[in-house]
Amino acid sequence: MSNHVRPAAATSPVLAVRGLTKRYPGVLALDGMDLEVRPREVVGLIGENGAGKSTLLKSLVGLAQPDSGSIVVRGEEVRLRGVAHAASVGIGMVFQEQSLVPNITVAENILLGAEGSGVRGGLFRWRRMAELAQVQLDKIGSTVSARARTDSLTFAQRQMVEVAKVLALEERTAHEPVVLLDEPTSVLEREEVETLFAQVRRLRERASVVFVSHRLDEVLEISDRVYVLRNGRVVAEVDPAEVDATDLHHLLIGRESTGSHYHDDAQQQPAADVRLSVRDLQTAGCTQASFEIRAGEVLGVAGVQGSGREELCRALFGAVPGARGEVLLDGKPLRLDSPRAAVLAGVGYVPSERRTEGVVSSMSVTENMSMAHVGTVCRGPVIDGRRERALVDTWVRRLGIRTPSGDTAIGTLSGGNQQKVVLARWMVSEQLRLLILDHPTRGLDVGAKSEVYELIRELAGSGCAVLLLSDTLEEALAMSHRVLVMKDGRITACLDAPRGGKPDPVAIMEAMV
Amino acid sequence: MTETAVETTGPRDDDGPAPGAGRRSRRDLALLFMPGAVLVLLLLALSTRNPDLLSPDSLLAIADSAAPLMVLAIGVTVVILCGGIDLSIAALAALSSVLFALWIPLFGAAAAVPVIAVAALAGAVQGLVHVKAKVNSFIVTLGGLALWSGIALVISGARTVPVTDVDAIRWAFTTVAGLPSAVLIALGAVVVLGAVLRLTPAGRWVRAVGHAEQAARLAGIPVGAVKVAAFTTSGACAGLAGVLLVARTFSGAPSLGATLLLPAVAAVVVGGTAITGGFGGIGRTVIGALIVIVLRVGLSLIGVDAGFESIIYGVLIIGAVAVTIDRTKLDVLK
Repeated sequence: MSNHVRPAAATSPVLAVRGLTKRYPGVLALDGMDLEVRPREVVGLIGENGAGKSTLLKSLVGLAQPDSGSIVVRGEEVRLRGVAHAASVGIGMVFQEQSLVPNITVAENILLGAEGSGVRGGLFRWRRMAELAQVQLDKIGSTVSARARTDSLTFAQRQMVEVAKVLALEERTAHEPVVLLDEPTSVLEREEVETLFAQVRRLRERASVVFVSHRLDEVLEISDRVYVLRNGRVVAEVDPAEVDATDLHHLLIGRESTGSHYHDDAQQQPAADVRLSVRDLQTAGCTQASFEIRAGEVLGVAGVQGSGREELCRALFGAVPGARGEVLLDGKPLRLDSPRAAVLAGVGYVPSERRTEGVVSSMSVTENMSMAHVGTVCRGPVIDGRRERALVDTWVRRLGIRTPSGDTAIGTLSGGNQQKVVLARWMVSEQLRLLILDHPTRGLDVGAKSEVYELIRELAGSGCAVLLLSDTLEEALAMSHRVLVMKDGRITACLDAPRGGKPDPVAIMEAMV
Repeated sequence: MTETAVETTGPRDDDGPAPGAGRRSRRDLALLFMPGAVLVLLLLALSTRNPDLLSPDSLLAIADSAAPLMVLAIGVTVVILCGGIDLSIAALAALSSVLFALWIPLFGAAAAVPVIAVAALAGAVQGLVHVKAKVNSFIVTLGGLALWSGIALVISGARTVPVTDVDAIRWAFTTVAGLPSAVLIALGAVVVLGAVLRLTPAGRWVRAVGHAEQAARLAGIPVGAVKVAAFTTSGACAGLAGVLLVARTFSGAPSLGATLLLPAVAAVVVGGTAITGGFGGIGRTVIGALIVIVLRVGLSLIGVDAGFESIIYGVLIIGAVAVTIDRTKLDVLK
């Protein structure tokens, strides 16, 4: 079923991507991506986090510059310089986080940067502006008033305005536009999704649409063709009529490697005593979370973007203002008001954004490693340089960190070595009781990933409790003793994942989306 | 050099620099030697005009007149290292000079202690407002500038307050072992602050907060406390600078600080401390303050009108920031 071949298309593609490659430091985001969009069709794109969806979309509107490969629009190769340039060749994007200016009218937003006859002599002609904007709103049959202030609209209405804004491209390019929809349904209610789908079907009569979503059923429902992305490549092109969600799940997960990659044999039975007990944790994006982690246990948390699992982890570390709940660490209440309080209580956190949140990249390997527990290498009020160097040397050797010296700026190391320094930052403390790992292997190569897995096993083996957010479901299952599944801010399931008895990923995937 | 080449081949052996690292180190190298070189060149150039300039007496006189500015500048350096700015220092120094002059009849020489304590408290309040109410340090201290100047004007009756009891301030303008005591006091402040920044966890924390506040917070560093401490230090230094100014002029004046803010900030950035935070230090500011003072002496030496001084500070500040700024941190420029 993979690489399903379609009969030769009758029409040439509006947009074609050929061998597109994009490297970011430490990660190959696009690895020779090939796909095409034909006139008046809806193309679905699915893939796990890090599969390359967002980098692809950014490249298509000129927000990321590919390293190699080409983007061909109506037979002509283009090098897109930015959103305005992409718009001029007829490619427009509806951003997931929305890109409207809130404090101006709908008409101003729709015509922003392309006011045309709506402006004369440097002044707005309000009536003309409203007329011009209304033309675009009528195309999708929207009832939103062109004169309304944008921040008075609902999220779904604003999304419609964004679609109308993209459709205004038609006037400028004399071609049918390509509309990129990035996770358009992620914050919509079911009815709003229906409305959006009706609009997308209307859109298909005058434009091509690229539809990106985590929700497989929606992709299958709305798309004419679906590309499955994994590790920066297209791994399958499927006809929605011929597959179901389960088939897609299998394609999405793939098989990256065997058990030794995850050091399966090192998974030990956790102790009986409860290390962390969480009851009714409440924070923005996550409600009524209750669970326990035992000493030496790895608890995985699975969920798509917006499921609330990131918020849950950060709240436990005191990094989200206003989090409430009854949280006990070894029976003692854990304060949730600052990371400092969490660190002093014996909690560590490895953030997903390594470069901006994990390391202080201009500071040295030594300074980064001793940052959280620098008190342990002090003599009196002063840092004892010799003790600090000895400690860092020990951990550099123990974790096999490849660095010219302890004085090297950490930002010059590879992602894997940076991540090992961040892990060591917490491991140096003998009081470490709970380590929260937020996408600890993001952007690492296969070898570095395996080394991080080994460290996690070692930590758990030494009795530390681990809360693990994984990039992939496969990783979460392989590494965890139990897996919590989250959806829409709530915990929907909790599955045992003992060594040799890992649950079926497809079942979990179905609970996630 | 890219990491991708080994994406599928396991751990890499060569840890090449990440993008931008090369450029960064070249910048660092330039920053390491440039301020010192500029100072030496400046002195040599001026000595061709007046060979006496390099005599020990003349150099000590320069150091003596640099002392208040140096103390002011090392204080604000700590705030800038944290990634903030303190525009209130000169106004706070002026207020301190007025308080000192007013309190000498009450406390004698010991008046310096409550003056510095009040200035430190003023700095702490600004820091707390900045951290707790989440108001830009630029705005908080701009407001502070107006506030402290206003209070100085009110309590002095908008007049210069003369010091009649010269003995009470003699300690600050005498010589010890041939060195001006103001220079020794300034050096003492430099050594203490420099040691704290270089040797203690607090100094680490200041730089970490300045380089990457979010990463510092997530490593458990008490970011709020670090910032409040930085503003408190800056306030205390402004207080000490105010005291030293009284010893030079035998009076406290609400207008005394008006001409000090620009040279103090110039001293920090000319020394090579990045206005974006994290990079720099006290030693750099010492050199920066000397450059500013030598420039001032030199200008009068070659007969340039004093009005040009301000023009030169303006150009210096912008030029020095253009050289030292860490552009990797700038996302949106405001």
